[in-house]
Amino acid sequence: MQRLDRLFESSARSLAQRSSRRSFIGVLGRILTGSLLVPLLPIDRIHRAEAASGPEGSPGAAEKAPAAAKGKSASKAYTEDQESCDYWKYCAIDGFLCSCCGGSSHTCPPGTQQSVVSWIGTCHNPADGRDYIVSYNDCCGKASCGNCDCYRNERERPLYRLSRNNDVNWCMANTGSDYHCTVSVILGSAGP
Amino acid sequence: MRSFQAWAALLAMMANGWAAASDPLPPDQFGMEPLPARTPHWIYVVDSAFMNEIDSRVRLYDADTHGHLGQIDAGFFPGVTLSPDRNTMAVGTTYFARGGHGERTDVVEFTDMTTLALTGEIVLPAKRAQATPTYFNLGYSSDSHFLYAAYITPAASFGVLDPASRKVLGEIDTAGCVLVIPWGPDHVSSICDSGRLLTVTVDAQGNEVSRALSDMFFDVDTDPLFVQGIPTDRGYTFLSFLGKVHEVDFSGPEPLIHAPWSLVSVAEAGRWRPGGQQLGAIQRRMGRLYVAMHRGGEGTHKKGGTEIWVFDLGTHRRIARWPVAPLKLAAVTAVQVSQDEAPLLFLASDNPAAVATLDALTGRLRHVDTNLGQTPWLILNP
Repeated sequence: MQRLDRLFESSARSLAQRSSRRSFIGVLGRILTGSLLVPLLPIDRIHRAEAASGPEGSPGAAEKAPAAAKGKSASKAYTEDQESCDYWKYCAIDGFLCSCCGGSSHTCPPGTQQSVVSWIGTCHNPADGRDYIVSYNDCCGKASCGNCDCYRNERERPLYRLSRNNDVNWCMANTGSDYHCTVSVILGSAGP
Repeated sequence: MRSFQAWAALLAMMANGWAAASDPLPPDQFGMEPLPARTPHWIYVVDSAFMNEIDSRVRLYDADTHGHLGQIDAGFFPGVTLSPDRNTMAVGTTYFARGGHGERTDVVEFTDMTTLALTGEIVLPAKRAQATPTYFNLGYSSDSHFLYAAYITPAASFGVLDPASRKVLGEIDTAGCVLVIPWGPDHVSSICDSGRLLTVTVDAQGNEVSRALSDMFFDVDTDPLFVQGIPTDRGYTFLSFLGKVHEVDFSGPEPLIHAPWSLVSVAEAGRWRPGGQQLGAIQRRMGRLYVAMHRGGEGTHKKGGTEIWVFDLGTHRRIARWPVAPLKLAAVTAVQVSQDEAPLLFLASDNPAAVATLDALTGRLRHVDTNLGQTPWLILNP
């Protein structure tokens, strides 16, 4: 087992030494774009593992509306209102909703830049009963929008799992790297 | 009516007469207030200014007098640290040439903590990790010879800086492990997705001479480790999402990771958990750990504490639960404690923003201040 560990460590180090930042971003971009076409099994496995893991997974977490989304009007917010933090696609967001800043749930406000890197989440759409992989892209190049501060963080993970983290400025790789707001872009279905 | 007018005229004449008889106020001497000598009851509150993030600040506050002592500008997503002698604050930050846009400049700025005057800067490559504040965004070596700045582009690495000559010495790749935990004069550890610590050793010029990975001590898939460490006498304590306590001793030749213990009982597991931005603090003299705890499930790891749980670090037993609601404070997102013999506990909330000062021995509320910024996410001791 230790040999196996060492093998993976050495290959990971070797990969890191051989890869530039630009190629990493390129690969990440291709992965995110390609996720429309190929199933993202590792992500789906994480979600399933959590759902089955007792307390931390809070069974069926993705199947439930957020605690705030109780009752008829809240349920409508969960399924239809893209300016509500309870909207289903925002399950792992922590930032300002672009839909309250001149954009929509998946488009940036006019005059901003779309972030070239992003984090991802898996959210459940109650309208069709499916789980979706969503990319949380920031919109960049203008100061904070400040509207509709939304704070969900379901299955969000610390900085060392960067692709699942929202505590870092995802405008970091843009020429205009100030953070303005965040969108949630469906990449594809997480399930069969 | 005529009588009233007569009385009014008489009173006006008397008032004028008295004013003429007293001396005028002397001219004010326009100047600058000196910063008083710091005490253990000062705190440095890092306000991330989430609603307008290009304008973060560090606010100096005296909990004994409730006095606001001054401010250090901190720009965009700052990392803030103090030199080992506590006389210099280093702020790693980003500025844009024209407010929210324009050319990006990443920089470390140095402030003299006896005067609050800026004393210099080091311009960084545009790679600085623009992340929420922790102890590990920026940090000094124990001998002050090096300053390390975490980089994320999103490739992870760190910059090695020379604070004396104000120069960037180099950059060390961390193979996906993040942040900088300096220890001793020549070691820097980073936290890895594999559940290990990567430790890089540098030579006298700041070049890497070796690296080593620790054993795996947490599993991000089942119980992730918060990256916000809590300083101890010999290193840092890290908490996990589910309330495990991982104590790491950085005083030896390599990190010594102790067996974890739990903040929660079997019955509390998965229901009560730590959360927030600065999750807890340790009073090292008393051996007490204070943690912001809340009821919640998956996705609540940044939710502030509705109670402060107090633990004896010797026995790992909980010795108090202090509800936050009676303090007239919202959920607690940052916790700090002073290290003197009459320790104060500081609890910050961000919605609405306030910082409460309590007696750390009894939990008795002393004061709540609502003028310490909008999102006070990190509190440093002087």
